[in-house]
Amino acid sequence: MADDGSTADGSTADGRAGRALRDLRAARRRRRIAAFDPFEALYRAYVTGIVLGVAVLVLSSIIGDTRVAAPEVARIRAHGAPFVGLAVALAWAVGLRSGGRGGPLVVEAADVRHVLLAPVDRALALRGPAIRQLRFLLLVGGGAGAVAGLLALRRLPGAGAAWVLSGAAVGILGVAGAFGAAMAVSGLRLGRWVGGLAALAVLTWSSADAALRISTSPASLIGGLALWPLRVRPQEPVGAVVALVLVAVGMAVIGRSSLEASERRAGLIGQIRFAATLQDLRTVIVLRRQLAQELPRQRPWVRLRRTVPRGWLGAQTAHTGAARRRRFPVWRRSWHGIMRWPGLRFGRVAVLGAAAGLALVGVWRGTTPLVVVAGLALYVAGLDAVEPLAQEVDHPDRMAGYVVPAGNLYLRTLAAPAVVMVAAGGIGLLAAAAVTGGATLTWQLGGTLAVPAALAGLGAAAISVVKGPPPPLSPQTAMMPEAAGAKAMARLLWPPIVATLGTLPILAARDAARHHHPAWANMVPLVQLVVVLVVAVALWVRWQEEAHVWFDQQLALSGTGASAARG
Amino acid sequence: MPEPEPVEPALVAHQLAKDYGDLVALHPLDLVVPDGQRVVLVGHNGSGKTTLLRMVAGLLEPTGGEASVLGSPVGSIDARAALSYLPDSPVLYDDLSVLEHIEYVCRLHDAEDWERRAVALLDVLGLAGRADDLPSRFSRGLRQKTAILLGLIRPFSLLLVDEPFVGLDPPGRAAFIDLVDEASEAGATTVVATHQLDYVQQAERLIALRDGAVTFDGPPGQVDLADLVG
Repeated sequence: MADDGSTADGSTADGRAGRALRDLRAARRRRRIAAFDPFEALYRAYVTGIVLGVAVLVLSSIIGDTRVAAPEVARIRAHGAPFVGLAVALAWAVGLRSGGRGGPLVVEAADVRHVLLAPVDRALALRGPAIRQLRFLLLVGGGAGAVAGLLALRRLPGAGAAWVLSGAAVGILGVAGAFGAAMAVSGLRLGRWVGGLAALAVLTWSSADAALRISTSPASLIGGLALWPLRVRPQEPVGAVVALVLVAVGMAVIGRSSLEASERRAGLIGQIRFAATLQDLRTVIVLRRQLAQELPRQRPWVRLRRTVPRGWLGAQTAHTGAARRRRFPVWRRSWHGIMRWPGLRFGRVAVLGAAAGLALVGVWRGTTPLVVVAGLALYVAGLDAVEPLAQEVDHPDRMAGYVVPAGNLYLRTLAAPAVVMVAAGGIGLLAAAAVTGGATLTWQLGGTLAVPAALAGLGAAAISVVKGPPPPLSPQTAMMPEAAGAKAMARLLWPPIVATLGTLPILAARDAARHHHPAWANMVPLVQLVVVLVVAVALWVRWQEEAHVWFDQQLALSGTGASAARG
Repeated sequence: MPEPEPVEPALVAHQLAKDYGDLVALHPLDLVVPDGQRVVLVGHNGSGKTTLLRMVAGLLEPTGGEASVLGSPVGSIDARAALSYLPDSPVLYDDLSVLEHIEYVCRLHDAEDWERRAVALLDVLGLAGRADDLPSRFSRGLRQKTAILLGLIRPFSLLLVDEPFVGLDPPGRAAFIDLVDEASEAGATTVVATHQLDYVQQAERLIALRDGAVTFDGPPGQVDLADLVG
């Protein structure tokens, strides 16, 4: 063997390793094809087709068929690009953050151990999986963009094919840029902080474009391509070039990605996928936090006063303050946990609260579907806030040792999260006031709705956490597949529906204002219904276990009675 | 007569450290392991043994210091060619048989004459009858044996082993010890992290870790092991 690793037949070590990689992948592909079940694949395609069809129908019915008026078309033509670009910038920001944590590439754990630790060029080993991942993402991005183009076609002038093609192009370029940016940050080992700051910079640049109604950022330029059926601007392909350059840079530095991050992601992504197939949202959230290295702080932001003073072992007399604090163990336990949240989680809850407030302003101004966005934002914030309850639900064995019923404890763990959500609602109100110039009506309507809506978001999260994933041996296994699927879907959708119900009073206020009736007075009855909903959820959390036991007992008794009657 | 070239130490660590924010996994460590030495690492759970081995293997990135394998920086192609790492938990492909694993690993490492050696190792580890089976259907012990086989079948100069006895039956443990002896006699350097104190006496050098710092480094006969690992 020569110094460069070449052998008598002229092959180099890299060439031989490359052949080994190709042969292995071909062998594994053959095995997968041999195990391919066409009926299973057809069933999946059938289910996916139905879900996609329903989603497109729902979206198009929400958007409606009314053609946009000429002045509005002119505004979209002139200033729409940076707003579409915001969606692209969001995708790029997600990519940059992922890259800072070693993403987006997901390599099998066995590949990390056997291939990346072998003396082969890592770029050679990683390029194949990266291209496959990118190909899939481009398909998803292109498809989503094409659907968005179809929806735009229903309300805007222009050729149908042009809308679909430009939508698909924007989807593809958005995804490609996000993937490339992530690969570049990961390969250049820029780390979490640089990745996060770059994400913030991209979002800020695009937001500034949107605020100033200009297109200077690459994301805004790509957004402009979406409007090519309305008008063509020659500078906008520059955004596409930036996206392609990002992909090229990402691929060029792929071999320098962190093995530590690759191994961590390999394990966690596999678990997340498995949890997702079981519809285990809580496990997905916990694993996602691990993936983002979002760990509790060793030192709390604020240390609560000790239950007993320092040196209590030597003290003979009870401390009166300590005795008082001992009366609220669950409240204190919840705050111990919340005070250890990483700053990112506080920031996320605040941003989601603000997003909900802004979405409700959008609803007030006429974009009805934003009630769903507001509801979802509060639901996701609630999933963060509800952590003290989730910790108890996650450890049923520990729960068995407590002297209080589970429901009682669950309800008490919601007190501290309720405070967090009220704060999130307050941030939403401030955001709404900021964009409406502090109008009196905003304070009036927002001040009435913020707390009940935020608590509905918390209630939705509590339902999700307490219900957990569908039990593996539930009666639904005996159902027809379609019925079981519908039941599973209902279980998944119920919490976001509760969160969205909490935001609906704004529609009553808007409707009243349009008909020159007092908005606040017409909204209050619906707010009262939201309060009833929140109380109902609290009662469900408190009594659901006892109710299940009672129901099972009644079933058993009726069964016994029927047997006795037969006997 | 020309001077013989000085032999590079198998492993050199200079101020090698790892922390996770305020949690220190390994304090700055200086270590030189000469070529061919047999080293055993002992210590409590969380003492830093696995962290040290994984950093040397290139699976963990140090937060301080550096390490090299036979003069090549950890993670470089030369270091990867020289080093074989046997982790405490076997990680294998779900859809490859034992034999396909062997072929793949050997081809990636450019191993020569691996077929003959595969037959011998399969026999020693009691896997001869399972060569065409998928390890994903194996017990923990058989998976561990498969991982040991894959770690030993490829060429290496430095062997890092983390808790090798987990899940192994007595014949498997004996076979593993024989195989490490064989590798050592062939000139390889071995570093084995274990809680198995009866294995310590087979080493030339004992390194004890506690809370991420070295508490003992010397011949095993010079220290009471109970004091080191409690």
